[in-house]
Amino acid sequence: MNAYQQVVLGITIGATAVFLFFLLLVFRRYIGEKRAALLDARDTAITRSYLHRVAGHKVDDPKKWNAKAQLAAVTRILPLLRGGEKTRLLQIAELDGVLWDTLYRSHGIYKKDRVNAVHLLQRVGSEACIGRLRELMARDRNDRVRLEAAFGLAANAALPPPRETLRILGAMDRPPTRIDVALLRSTAPLYPDQMLLLLDDDLDSAWRARIIDALGWSESLAVIDAVKNAAIDPNPEVRNAALRASAKLGHPAAADWILPALEDPVHSVRLQAIRAAVQLNLKQALPVILQLRNDDELWVRLRAEEAIEHFDPSLLSPPGDAKS
Amino acid sequence: MSWDEFIHIVANVVIWIAYFCFIVVALRNIIALLQLLLAGWVFATRVRPGKGARDLWHRYADLALPISVIAPAYNEELSIVQSVRALLALEYPEHEVIVVNDGSKDRTLDTLIEAFGMKKTERTQIAHLQHTRILGVYRSKRYPNLLVVDKENGRKADAANAGIGFARTPLVCVIDADSIIEPDGLLRAAEPFMYDDDRLVAVGGAIRIVNGCIVKGGSLHRMGIAKEMIPRIQIVEYLRAFLMNRVANAHLNTLMLISGAFGLFRRSTIVEMGGYRHDTVGEDLELVVRMHRFLRNKRRDYRIAFVPDIVCWTEAPAALKGLDNQRARWQQGAMETLQRHRGMIFNPRYGRIGMIAMPQIVLEDILGPPAELLGYLVLPAAALLGLLDPMMALAFFFVSIVFGCALSVGTLALEEQQLRRTPSARDLLRIGVAAIVENFGYRQINLWYRLYGIVRFFRKDSTWAAVPRVGFTEG
Repeated sequence: MNAYQQVVLGITIGATAVFLFFLLLVFRRYIGEKRAALLDARDTAITRSYLHRVAGHKVDDPKKWNAKAQLAAVTRILPLLRGGEKTRLLQIAELDGVLWDTLYRSHGIYKKDRVNAVHLLQRVGSEACIGRLRELMARDRNDRVRLEAAFGLAANAALPPPRETLRILGAMDRPPTRIDVALLRSTAPLYPDQMLLLLDDDLDSAWRARIIDALGWSESLAVIDAVKNAAIDPNPEVRNAALRASAKLGHPAAADWILPALEDPVHSVRLQAIRAAVQLNLKQALPVILQLRNDDELWVRLRAEEAIEHFDPSLLSPPGDAKS
Repeated sequence: MSWDEFIHIVANVVIWIAYFCFIVVALRNIIALLQLLLAGWVFATRVRPGKGARDLWHRYADLALPISVIAPAYNEELSIVQSVRALLALEYPEHEVIVVNDGSKDRTLDTLIEAFGMKKTERTQIAHLQHTRILGVYRSKRYPNLLVVDKENGRKADAANAGIGFARTPLVCVIDADSIIEPDGLLRAAEPFMYDDDRLVAVGGAIRIVNGCIVKGGSLHRMGIAKEMIPRIQIVEYLRAFLMNRVANAHLNTLMLISGAFGLFRRSTIVEMGGYRHDTVGEDLELVVRMHRFLRNKRRDYRIAFVPDIVCWTEAPAALKGLDNQRARWQQGAMETLQRHRGMIFNPRYGRIGMIAMPQIVLEDILGPPAELLGYLVLPAAALLGLLDPMMALAFFFVSIVFGCALSVGTLALEEQQLRRTPSARDLLRIGVAAIVENFGYRQINLWYRLYGIVRFFRKDSTWAAVPRVGFTEG
């Protein structure tokens, strides 16, 4: 057999395999469509059965359904239930062993399987799920899995204290991302005091700024002094974060450091100060904002115009007055 | 030179041409196979978009970078209102829609003014990237996140540049006015920016063909498959381009094209680069190639990502009339880009872009089409004249046609296994049939259109004929 014959044979075998695989997928889809009505009826029955059991009624033996379908039903019902009903459903689901497969997969070799398991554990959010999510966050070998587990815990308001969260995720060894900011913000209402303690550490300014930002989401007015001090920090990134946090906290005292920030030498701080003034509706900022229409920085001028439009559109001078 | 010597030389030339065609076609398909395998591996190991991060994103909306959606519109009177409504309704924490009326000759502007209560306003244009004059800027009281820019006609690149110039957000999403964005398409496309460490400059997304789908109020209502074979074949082509080629290239950080129908960019980078070029018919390819060149010249650490999930639907030519212009234009655009950036080809200074991605475009767009078309003629002829082993001609048929069918069907299998966005088993089979039919006629016609594109490139033909649209199937 010469090389060309080998090429023809090789391609024939490869192409046949691909075509057969495709036909198999078409057939699988066809069977799925044929069984769709049957599966819908089964899912309805599982859902009904769980709702009856939560309400304490007698039902048929649930073991005749597979665990995957049962888990799907539980995750569908969960968002509809509150308080005691939700707790009862989670207990029943755990007793049924609905989570066994997911918990097993959370130990899988492949990152993808573990992350998919984390998503399911997060949605269910029972004690067993939270426990396993904590284990994954603390001990999984993959950064992404640990991060996803942290999301799962954050979504269930079960993140560990901020110092632990940051240590486990190895966050301090890299620049912060938006995801880190989201995690810190979700930790802040749970541990406002510990967030303040973190500020005593020797942090680089990027992380200090993110922690100050998160204080704004702490829903605690005990953090206001820390925010006030950050507003005069030598680092503009930290000052920006303090202004964001102030706007979020909505404390009236914030005007004391927002108004001077409108005249900050760094333009990004002036921009943030305008935004904070608008968010807190600080009308006393209007005279300075009017002057900012002649700022050297284009973005400051643009935001100042938007702010004036917010406070009093009639003060907007005829077009062309501001520098363009 | 004797007659025999002349015949001998001609025979040798024919044999060398035959070998050249065979090698080029085989190389193209081997690269495609490697891309398919790599894409399969990427899909198999990727973490599907989960609710975890998105929940946090919804809770802390200000962390999602605001986006300006730039929609250049030219003579879109009939569909513009629905398109804009759909854009305004996109699921995203903070986005602005900037419609750029590119000197439409119909009532596009009036229709917008009437439908959205637009009033003329003054808005500072931050960057002047367009070459034509801005005639007016309009804002709506009812829809504060809608801006209409009216300008003189200057083609899509110029209109997109005008819109980018008015954008104030960190990200801009440049689309076609008739693009149908999935309701959460912006969210999905912007998700890579959540994990970003300030290296990401652009994100492309997978695009599918809307022909045969039901469109209601400017949004996709029900997926479907076109009745005609031409759009069906284009579904296969788009799947190959987006699921195989771009997924693999993005994984290797060698993504060279973000489709003009949907592309998300960091505004500051585009402005710094001077926006889209006006003097090419392939502005989308040129932009990304130039972006690589620009950022590598500046020694910046950057990344261009691709979201394999469908983010956008677009209308494809329903018949060969229309397809001819589109394909010739794509070919011409690719050649213009290669000519402009020829200094990058095999230039180690540009790393994998210079050493892998650019030569791949040369193989795909310069050598590939003529070599394949020539191969169809030369190899059988040479075999009939006894110059070549007839088995080689058969092998060429297998390498181009059968291999091509297998690659297309393989991509379909990948789609079904991973995304499953084909409406039904019946439709899947129909597309499967199209994947095979494509290789018997359509593929060769397409090569012919591409040759025409090469001719247009050498003629420096800058005319731009719009692709005829049949319109969406309204529900």
